[in-house]
Amino acid sequence: MSQDQRQAWFARMVESGLEHSIFQPSDVLAHATPDVLASHLPPELLSKVLQASLAAGSMTPERVLETVTPELLAKHLPHDVLWACIAAAAARAGVATS
Amino acid sequence: MNVKPFLVDALSSALDLGIATPDDVLRHVTPDLLANHLPRPLWARLLTACVGASRVDAQLVVETIGISNMCEHIPTTAIWACLAEIAQRSLGGEVSARPPAPAAPAIVTRPAVAKPNAPLSISGPPAPDPVKLTPAAPPLMAGPSIPAPGTSSANAALADLTGDNDMPSRPRTATGNRFRQTSTNIGRLATSNQRRPQAAAQTPPPPSAAIDPATDRPTRANMVRRGETEVEVEVESETEAGGNDWRSTLAVEDEQLVDWSASEETQTSDDPGFRTKR
Repeated sequence: MSQDQRQAWFARMVESGLEHSIFQPSDVLAHATPDVLASHLPPELLSKVLQASLAAGSMTPERVLETVTPELLAKHLPHDVLWACIAAAAARAGVATS
Repeated sequence: MNVKPFLVDALSSALDLGIATPDDVLRHVTPDLLANHLPRPLWARLLTACVGASRVDAQLVVETIGISNMCEHIPTTAIWACLAEIAQRSLGGEVSARPPAPAAPAIVTRPAVAKPNAPLSISGPPAPDPVKLTPAAPPLMAGPSIPAPGTSSANAALADLTGDNDMPSRPRTATGNRFRQTSTNIGRLATSNQRRPQAAAQTPPPPSAAIDPATDRPTRANMVRRGETEVEVEVESETEAGGNDWRSTLAVEDEQLVDWSASEETQTSDDPGFRTKR
């Protein structure tokens, strides 16, 4: 298993989770905290997030994820952070609790 | 919230990307689960595919049923357990598959040995039992009646030949090497005590046969029969000095003693020849 395959898989899981409302963008940012984002996102991506927020007048989780797509999340963020988000959503959905 | 499409996406993409294998899926979606939850038409399709296939394996089962059908009918807990194992393996086993704030498990059977990171699932396969270390077989105690391990086979074979069961356990030395080793005394003697060339022994002349004038034959005393053993007459040495005191025979008178320091015979300084020689 290569890093690219694992990255693509986590990107797909995050995308599917958002698509099927398994978790919300706020759930993602609950794990991908500002500290995590600031530590792992490259400067140009941080700049884009800030520019989009300035243009919209606010910085919401949805707007952040519009800029930092699941592919970019899986590319830059530690995968255990993303998996914690997915596992928490599965627990809320009653899949992984029993 | 629709969990099943998410599970389909997650599991399908894992299989497509090579992160998971069909064996991983069937490790959680067991045949028992399939038998209990899969509809009969899907079972008919699966049986048909298996009968017509040259080899039945996990890939055939997964491809025939399909991930979507599997996630549709199999309990989501089993699918999630499969995903959790794949994720754990993908992350190097560092991340817990358990959610961060899990509910209390319904059944806690072995809290002491339960792995903290193991997924809690009823329908999934049970957690593997901790590996029990089977104690190693105790070493064989070599008793008096048990030969040493290294020589047991050789002694047994030799004992069978000789009929002696009380063979010592000391390993035998090959006889072929016994006289070739130079480190032994025999070997040293053999190498240093080489025979010197010897002159040919002279055979004694045959005794002149004295003719007995009466019988016109050689006398019996001078007859040497062929093959007759020569009897060596052993002469006993006289151990006692004929009754004489040996001290008296070895006694030396004082006059016979020579004072070397006073004797003129030993002074060679006056010898003219000696001087000339010097």
